[in-house]
Amino acid sequence: MARAVDTSPSSSLRQNPWLRRAVPLLVVVVLAVLPLVLTENTNDTLARIGVFAVAVLGLNVVMGYTGQVSLGQIFFVGLGAYVTGYGVQQGWNVVLAFLAACLAAAVAGLVVALAAARLGGLAIAMVTIALPIVGVPLAKRLSDVTGGSQGLSARFAEAPEATGLYDDQWVLYVVLVIGGAVFLLTRALVRGKYGRAFAIVKGNEAVASSMGISPYRYKVLAFTIASLIGGISGFLYMFVIQYTSPETMSFGHSIELLAAMVIGGAGSIIGSLLGGAYYVLVPELTNQVDSSLTALLQGVILLAVLFVLPGGLASLLRRLTRGRRRSGAGSGAAAPPTTPLSTAVSGTSAEEPGKERQGHA
Amino acid sequence: MGTFVQLVVDGLSTGSVYAAIALAIVLVHQATGLINFAQGGMAVLAVYIAWWLTTKDVPLILAILVSIAFSIAFGAVVERFLMRRFERGDPDTAVVVTIGLLTLITGVAGWLWTYNNQQFPSLFSLDTVNFLGVSVSQRSLGTTAVIIVVMVLLQALFVGTKLGLALRAVANNPESAAFSGLPVGRLLMVGWGLAAALGAVAGALVAPQLTLTPGMLDNALVYALAAVILGGLTSPVGVVVAAWLIGVLENLAAVYVSFIGYDLKVAVPFILIFVVLIVRPQGLFGRKTVVRV
Repeated sequence: MARAVDTSPSSSLRQNPWLRRAVPLLVVVVLAVLPLVLTENTNDTLARIGVFAVAVLGLNVVMGYTGQVSLGQIFFVGLGAYVTGYGVQQGWNVVLAFLAACLAAAVAGLVVALAAARLGGLAIAMVTIALPIVGVPLAKRLSDVTGGSQGLSARFAEAPEATGLYDDQWVLYVVLVIGGAVFLLTRALVRGKYGRAFAIVKGNEAVASSMGISPYRYKVLAFTIASLIGGISGFLYMFVIQYTSPETMSFGHSIELLAAMVIGGAGSIIGSLLGGAYYVLVPELTNQVDSSLTALLQGVILLAVLFVLPGGLASLLRRLTRGRRRSGAGSGAAAPPTTPLSTAVSGTSAEEPGKERQGHA
Repeated sequence: MGTFVQLVVDGLSTGSVYAAIALAIVLVHQATGLINFAQGGMAVLAVYIAWWLTTKDVPLILAILVSIAFSIAFGAVVERFLMRRFERGDPDTAVVVTIGLLTLITGVAGWLWTYNNQQFPSLFSLDTVNFLGVSVSQRSLGTTAVIIVVMVLLQALFVGTKLGLALRAVANNPESAAFSGLPVGRLLMVGWGLAAALGAVAGALVAPQLTLTPGMLDNALVYALAAVILGGLTSPVGVVVAAWLIGVLENLAAVYVSFIGYDLKVAVPFILIFVVLIVRPQGLFGRKTVVRV
């Protein structure tokens, strides 16, 4: 029921054929121009937000849309990053490294899900909590491949000569293209046949079974897709941050990722974007206040959001846009779809310009 | 052979600590139907309070008792002012609330007492005693003994007292319990308080060995959850047996399986779970629940 109510404002927006074509075009144009006009520091921050927005999006597929609490998403991000890093060090083609990262994460996710989804209820949470906790010592142990505690660095983010772009611009473009594609594909997935099946499994497994929808199969599917998206996020992580260590997939990060998803908005595409922004920006802000307070503040923020805004920041946006349309009726409706994007950007562009740019002039 | 027996006894001792936290999780789950991921964090907070008291020259045993009393109050307060709002709603949201609580408690401990390791004094000495021809540390024996005593007390409370009967009634069917005049809310607070106290005992027993940090019990929580899955959420006895099994197996695997070693032994319970899940999805001792629409 709640789902039907949630989508109503955007579906009424889509009734206007002009808006339906103009808004995506506008978004694409803005995204195409932004990397060229922003500072290096902002581009870098936006790229990192993109990395974690994809990770949060993956978590949303299994948790927000299918209702299975997963505490292991960061493991797949780390796995993707390690496979990418290893591939680049071995001199693989970047496309091959990308595919290997996707495949490794998806297979690992499938294997975990085959066992975990057999249990009902919260068991997936209880099993997936082990992934980061086993992953960290495992990454240290397999030091031949992972570089042990030292970690693994791989630089393959230099802008090609022909483009004439700075490195940071190139990186952001790549993140926007890959991340954008993942977002669009996921949006199509969760709004289509599979998304409806996920929603029914989330709502009531017994009802799903009675409708011929196997909860087990769809839970495994959702978890595998989430892991695959995690692997893509890991590839982007390596591309943007160029370094990974066992610390990447620590338990703390796993919890932060879950917090980011809830705060952004569970079961929401825009919420994933906001979650990614939260994951990157809030620790930076709290570190400036007092780094020993970071975990405390994050806990307070998470609990406060759960109390005041159970649907996350995305539901706040939805509420605001709905309110505005009720008062301004019709003509004011052009604003809402772009608000999430502009707030996400304006939140970062306030940062001061950074150091010298690298790359081709 | 001597090493083997010693590994088994040490495994039972660490397994007992996992058992205590697992029992706390089962206690809360029985009463409210949710998994408290903050159980380890709450225990760490209790240990920090005991440690802080010992630095103020309070005798260790008194400090631990005070921390247990604090835990009972803290558990009750958390239930009343945080969890009650989410208890009858979506279980996923409630779980995320407990994860938020874990982050918050870890943050508070780290902020008040830093993230550095602190040395927590042990109730039992590390001296060894000869026991059936093998030397076992008093700490191992003491830990196991304390947990067994606590479990017996808990069992007695549930089976032999009116409070225990009321708690079981609420766990089985909150609505019927309320109809028969039981103060369900207050009983839930008692349940959370008892669970927190159980965690505090486990924390105090394991802290000397692990050295005290805000994330000290993260791994123990994972083991406890593994024990809960293996034993089945509905069976306290099964959970304790599973925790012992995990403690012993990981100890043996660490020594006898060279690839696993000490750093990867945390993977052992999950390999075990993997195998068990294929055969018995409801856990070793759990009952299969039938869902009606």
